[in-house]
Amino acid sequence: MSVPADYLVYPKRRSGPDHDRYGHRYLATAPAVAWPDGKHLLIWVTIHCEHFPMDMPKEPFVPIGGMDRPSPSVWDYSTRDYGNRVGIFRLMRVLDRHDLRATVAMNSKVAERYPYLLDEMLKRNWEIAASGVDMGRLHHGLLSKEEERAQVDEAFTTLRQLSGQPVIGWHSPAHSQSSHTPELAAGAGARYIADWINDDMPYRFETETGALVQMPLSYELSDRKILFLHNQCTDDYAAQITAAFDCLDAEAREKGGRILSLSVSPWVIGQPSRIAVFDRLLESFLSRDGVAGATGATICAAWENHDEQVGMEDE
Amino acid sequence: MLSEPFSYDYAPYQNRPKIVWPNGARLAFWVAPNIEFYEYAPPESPARSVWYRPEPDIINYSMRDYGNRVGFHRVADVMVRHGVRGSVSLNVAVCDHFPDIIERCCELDWELFSHGIYNTRYLYNMSEDQQREVIRDSRETIKRHSGQDLDGWLSPAISNGETTQDLLAEEGIKYTLDLFHDDQPMPVKVRSGKRLVSVPYMMETNDVPTLSFKHISPTAYLDIVKAHFDQLYEEGAESGTIMCVPLHPYLIGQPHRIAVLDEILGYITGHDDVWLATGREIAAWFEQNYYDAFVEWMKPFNRAAAKGPTA
Repeated sequence: MSVPADYLVYPKRRSGPDHDRYGHRYLATAPAVAWPDGKHLLIWVTIHCEHFPMDMPKEPFVPIGGMDRPSPSVWDYSTRDYGNRVGIFRLMRVLDRHDLRATVAMNSKVAERYPYLLDEMLKRNWEIAASGVDMGRLHHGLLSKEEERAQVDEAFTTLRQLSGQPVIGWHSPAHSQSSHTPELAAGAGARYIADWINDDMPYRFETETGALVQMPLSYELSDRKILFLHNQCTDDYAAQITAAFDCLDAEAREKGGRILSLSVSPWVIGQPSRIAVFDRLLESFLSRDGVAGATGATICAAWENHDEQVGMEDE
Repeated sequence: MLSEPFSYDYAPYQNRPKIVWPNGARLAFWVAPNIEFYEYAPPESPARSVWYRPEPDIINYSMRDYGNRVGFHRVADVMVRHGVRGSVSLNVAVCDHFPDIIERCCELDWELFSHGIYNTRYLYNMSEDQQREVIRDSRETIKRHSGQDLDGWLSPAISNGETTQDLLAEEGIKYTLDLFHDDQPMPVKVRSGKRLVSVPYMMETNDVPTLSFKHISPTAYLDIVKAHFDQLYEEGAESGTIMCVPLHPYLIGQPHRIAVLDEILGYITGHDDVWLATGREIAAWFEQNYYDAFVEWMKPFNRAAAKGPTA
């Protein structure tokens, strides 16, 4: 018994990562960031507004929240659609109460299907970020580049047209990219992507069509991971979000600006038993000194500014 | 295919030779941070799929990359605060990719042992010579980057061949962590008759099976670890026990979990009869003081036991 000889050859065994997307950085020793207006911790609320087609493919994988039951899975479909009808309006009330603007990671299909919903978001001056066409059209390594380009372009074009916003953010549905996704997003005019979950702060991400900012959209702390995938109770969710806040708040005071990314789905956090907990968390965080809400676009701009200054100091 | 590992003899958990740890301690506590590297584009394995989604599986790759960018330093800071050294389960390619991490481990006087080259290169289906090459690469890489000798071993992703434990002993490894059969160190049976100690590395208190596979909340994890410790601490009065907390900075080093590590270490180091040890210190103490006594004591329980293929 043996494995092929090249199984013991390691062509990327070198200093730094084993790909060329970014250089290595330790957050502990990264230059301190100063956020605008003297804030040290920014709360970035990202709301996933998604459409899960009842006939979405099961291959190459079913994303969290996808159709898990035999077809036609009316149960799954209508449970997700609940988010765009009911849950999102509960979230709006909560965010309005705290004067917070969200980033909406939106499937373009949602904007097409529910213009009223999009209008309510635009009235609030929420940021619209592109998040693919719908949850049946994931971005992954088995797609051809041309098929994928069409999906990326459709998402950006539709959302720009319907929202009138520049739409500079991209989140791949289910945090799933192909090796082309960053190039395609950059080519379609994205300034930031929010897919990789390897940092608590933004960093520069190289593509063949220009550099992007990779924003730290949390997956570990998302309601769909903790409450839906891991079936934990709301108290456990609140405890984890609070612990993250405490850790990042303390670190921010010592080491420079930090971001608390709250990644929420209206079909999860917008349930009657949960929404009040989210409200109380925001209430508690926003009452603290040096803490403010910010959208992805705002954070991205502040980060680019910081990165430019650090670059100039280096020269 | 073997019907059992043939790596150890039966030993009931009562009337064992009494282990006493240094300074009369009844429990040896050790922490094993896994400092790992999962490859972006690993070669295919004949035994298992490597990633979960079509490659590049960026969510799973970047989740683990978090440990080396962010989690490691947070975990190290908490351990320093409690005076707890680490015994690093190291994918040795990290020495090449991120030498600063290795530098800090050395400054903190942490032990480095091998967890293979990458966590995406398994021992499955390897020939004995290929496995020896992995062990030698590990030994040389650790020596070159830290000056340390390679004493301990945890197979990458716990992938084993049928004779891996034999090879470890022949290549000069002193202790193995691949066996989960006991709460005390044990002699390992190997074909050369060389001495190899099994040191308990505990999956029940490991953050991967608990927080990740079983979806246990950080608070419940804290309760598990404390209860695990309480029981072993009590039993240690009869014969010294071991408590291991295997960690992964990509999980425990997250902002919503790091405080749990602080609580765990505060709780355990707050007890008097605890020896804060490393893997190699535990293995050496057992080997020097109790190895022979355990071999002798175990004989009556194994008269009828099956002989291994290499016995």
